[in-house]
This record gives sequence, C-alpha cells and structure tokens, in this order.
Amino acid sequence: MFKKLIEKGIEKSPWLLHINTGSCNGCDIELVSVITPRYDAERMGFKLAGTPRHADIVVVSGPITSQSKERLVRTLAQVPDPKVVVSIGSCPRSCNVFHGSYSVEGPLDRYCDVDVSIAGCPPKPEAIIDGLAKAVEILKTKRRGK
Amino acid sequence: MKFPFLKEAITSLTKKPSTELYPLVKKEAPEGYRGRIKFHADKCINCGMCIRVCAPDAITRTIEKTEEGDKITFQFYLGQCTFCQMCADFCAKKAIELTKDYSMVGTDEEDFMVRGTFIKKLPPKPPVPPAGAAPAAAKAPAAAPAATEKPAEKAEDKKEEK
Repeated sequence: MFKKLIEKGIEKSPWLLHINTGSCNGCDIELVSVITPRYDAERMGFKLAGTPRHADIVVVSGPITSQSKERLVRTLAQVPDPKVVVSIGSCPRSCNVFHGSYSVEGPLDRYCDVDVSIAGCPPKPEAIIDGLAKAVEILKTKRRGK
Repeated sequence: MKFPFLKEAITSLTKKPSTELYPLVKKEAPEGYRGRIKFHADKCINCGMCIRVCAPDAITRTIEKTEEGDKITFQFYLGQCTFCQMCADFCAKKAIELTKDYSMVGTDEEDFMVRGTFIKKLPPKPPVPPAGAAPAAAKAPAAAPAATEKPAEKAEDKKEEK
C-alpha cells in the first residue's frame, strides 16, 4: 500500500535535472522562466533536483561540445533508470548552426535515447510546459511497464 | 521608523497572482512571432534562394524527373531550424511563412518535418520536323532573324552617324 502511494507521488511530482551542454543560454533562460513564478511549473509538480541521483526527467540544452561531452555522459549514467530525456531547442536535436564544428560532438541521440524533443530556438515557455507534460506521460508508461 | 516597500506589500495583497494558468488558459503568441514553418508549394518557383540563405542547412530539396516534369520536394527540418525567418524574407514569391504556432513537441524526427511537393513543368518542346528537312529547317530560321537584324543595325548606325 505504501509502495502504491509512493508510486503515485513520483508520477505526480517528477523532478527535473537540467544539463547545459554548451548552450547559448537562450533555452536555459526559457527553462528558468518555466520554473519561476510567471509560468510556475511547480504547480504541476516539476521541481529542479540538485543532483542527478534524484532526477526523473533530464532536460538537456545545447549542442554537445567536446568539453561537456564527458560530463554529459557521466551525469546521464548517474540518473536512476526509468528516466526520460527531454531535449530543449534545436541544438541537442541536430546541433543547429553549430553542426560540423570541430568542437561540437552532437547530436544528443548519439549518447542516449531522446524521448521528447521541443523545437524552437529558443522554444516558448508554453511549449516547454507542453513538452514536459508529454515527458510525464512517457515516464508513467515506462514506470508501469517495469 | 521606515518600512521600505510597505505600500508595495499592501497593494500586492489584493492583487491576483502573477502566474499564468497556461495549460488551462491557452495563450496566443504575439504578433510577428516566428513559429512553425508553413510552406505553400503552389507558390514556389524552385529558385533555391531559401536553401542558399539558411544558416543551419535545415532546408533540403529533392528533384525527381517524371514524365510530367520535375517533381520537386522541399523539406524543412524544424529540429534544425533557427527560426530566423531569412528564408521567408528572401522568398520572391512569399511561399514560406512562419506561423504563430509555437507548440512544436514531438518524440520522432517525423514530427518536425514540414514538406511540400510540386511539379515544375518544362516548357513545351518545339515540334520536331521530319529528318530530311531538319537541316534546311534549322538553317532557314537561323538565317531569317540574322537577315532581319542586319538592316535594323544598319539603320541604327546611320542614325548615330547623323
């Protein structure tokens, strides 16, 4: 019975982990705007986690630069398993204008499965909320499938 | 004793919360927002200016030869787009439009593809003359314009001399 309660609580309040892999900060600012009072995503249960070990949803922004690749792979490995990877903006999806650069080692799907992508450069906070809502649905199916 | 922001605090008590109730209350993007690309294939003339101008190479074009003419497909990959609107600005026929649709969420690459196909017909070919008459026919039209041009040039020369 306690297990059911915990399970329901986790589904209702997924914790986010934000990884910036060399982003231009445009997407990061939009994500900050989502979790601060204007678009308060905490009323839907989303909360920024301090460490990857607490996270359910991983939000990645930026093309993966050579400097951040190692850190990204290490951080993703620390997230416990039913996890959902969300890519914000065009950069993790396809490296955007940086593709072909000697210092960019993206796109993100080389290193992990990207479950939800939010297009836009940067996406509007409303679009990020839509994307997170989709990520929660995927998280639910992943947890119940287990 | 001074209370800084006392007035602010009292007025804020009666105000509505500043949080926007987004999923409940849908919000429209402001005028001029650059969102999902809409491609009007019927207006496009295949000049390729959008491809030339696109910084992240988000636009690809495939040309297929068919009997009716060239079947041209333009593909816009929104996952690689910067939404700078350069393609729409440079489009001579206004065939590309950036709409106010901001909610571009997908799980698959196909969700971010915007495609448009149209057939560009070749100009009608001139009727082929029979094989024997071909050289003569080819020479005759070539000679005829030359003949008509020469007097005209001469006339112009004369005018200039005068």
